[in-house]
Amino acid sequence: MAELTAFRYHPGASILHRVDPRFKLGCLIIASMGALNGDAAALGLWSIASAALFAEMRMPLMTVARELRYFALLILLVVLARTLTAAGEPLIRFWGVALTRQGLIEGALAGWRLGLVVMLGLLFMAATRTWQVKSAVESLLKPVPFIPHKRIAAMMGLLLRFIPLILSTARDTADAQRARGIENRRNPVFRLIKLAVPLLRKTFLDADRLATAMDARCYTESRSTQPLFARGGDWAFLGAVCGLSFLALSLPCF
Amino acid sequence: MNPSPIHDSSEQLRMTVYASLMAAFIAAGAYIAVPIGPVPVVLQNMFVLLAGLLLGWRWAAAAVGVYLLAGICGLPVFAGGTGGVGRLVGPTGGYLIGYLPAAAVVGWMSERRDNNRVLDVLGLIAGTMVVYLCGVFWLKMATGMSIGKSLALGMYPFLPGDGLKIIAAAAIAGAVRPMIRKPGKVAHSHGYS
Repeated sequence: MAELTAFRYHPGASILHRVDPRFKLGCLIIASMGALNGDAAALGLWSIASAALFAEMRMPLMTVARELRYFALLILLVVLARTLTAAGEPLIRFWGVALTRQGLIEGALAGWRLGLVVMLGLLFMAATRTWQVKSAVESLLKPVPFIPHKRIAAMMGLLLRFIPLILSTARDTADAQRARGIENRRNPVFRLIKLAVPLLRKTFLDADRLATAMDARCYTESRSTQPLFARGGDWAFLGAVCGLSFLALSLPCF
Repeated sequence: MNPSPIHDSSEQLRMTVYASLMAAFIAAGAYIAVPIGPVPVVLQNMFVLLAGLLLGWRWAAAAVGVYLLAGICGLPVFAGGTGGVGRLVGPTGGYLIGYLPAAAVVGWMSERRDNNRVLDVLGLIAGTMVVYLCGVFWLKMATGMSIGKSLALGMYPFLPGDGLKIIAAAAIAGAVRPMIRKPGKVAHSHGYS
């Protein structure tokens, strides 16, 4: 079971920590699109910028790398699938499968793109508190008509809080089932039900308690949220990301 | 007796929290795997279908919508810890978009009659087909593959696992549904009739 716990807030006072969350969210959208559509030169540019932000944030990179090992495995699978399925000039043949030059390049680019998107998400989550994500979403959705922006923002904040709870409960449930010899049961439906029912029951009970606690504290959607103020530094950061994006687009392909 | 506005807002709040929880389940489902034979099968699409069974069509659509919006914003909720608009417009984006009508279809069908396992299973089958309809069509458009190859790559290999997930989802919904407090319903009532 992979972890999403690497994607959590890391306290700090880096440049990224200080940027307005709305600007950070906008920059994340721009950078993710740039990373997913870029060629090697553009990916190199975005990777250098991300590495610089990581270094400036002083994140414990070894711990993060250890927590992300499952993602590395997924990315490796994507790389292998792309490498082995692309048509082109064969370099090596084994067991009837041809490894092509084009396949190697496509596979490496696909892995690089996915890895970069994961890193960008990690940067955003490490430098942004959940309430800031909620405020940013609320603020960005406000101009959209017929959308309950406050409710959607609250739901997104809750979503981010529930993910670690679900993963840790799933791990505990799987351990408890293993201790009771679930591995001896071959029926996959039985195993699925025995994992999912306690997991859903426990988390729904927790959600029920949370709803009661919010209700008891007179939670309403009309309550005022923490105001966000854009400063010169935020606009400069957005300008830098837009500039980087234009630069990445104008770089020659190779 | 009509429910008071306070009672109504409490129920709305409870459903908002439940829908957020199901959205989180959909995100976390990409990392919760159960071995089926030698292959570990992830539970993400099962949680999409369960959202429909447990919350009804409106709140299930809200849960999937929030999940997709979180992904579009770049939050790492899509499979592989990725996010961003690029994933939605990529070759596998159709499956993600298909989750929205699929959850609504399952929810709508399960709401036709309370705790009816036959309708639940029919809804689950219809929801699964909706996901594949959107996913395979999108895969074909994005990659330019023939419909036969798109089906061979994007649907057929997953059908046995989906069949097992449908059986499991109906049983799981039957066990979990009685404890969910939905508007106008009392929790801890009886399960399937």
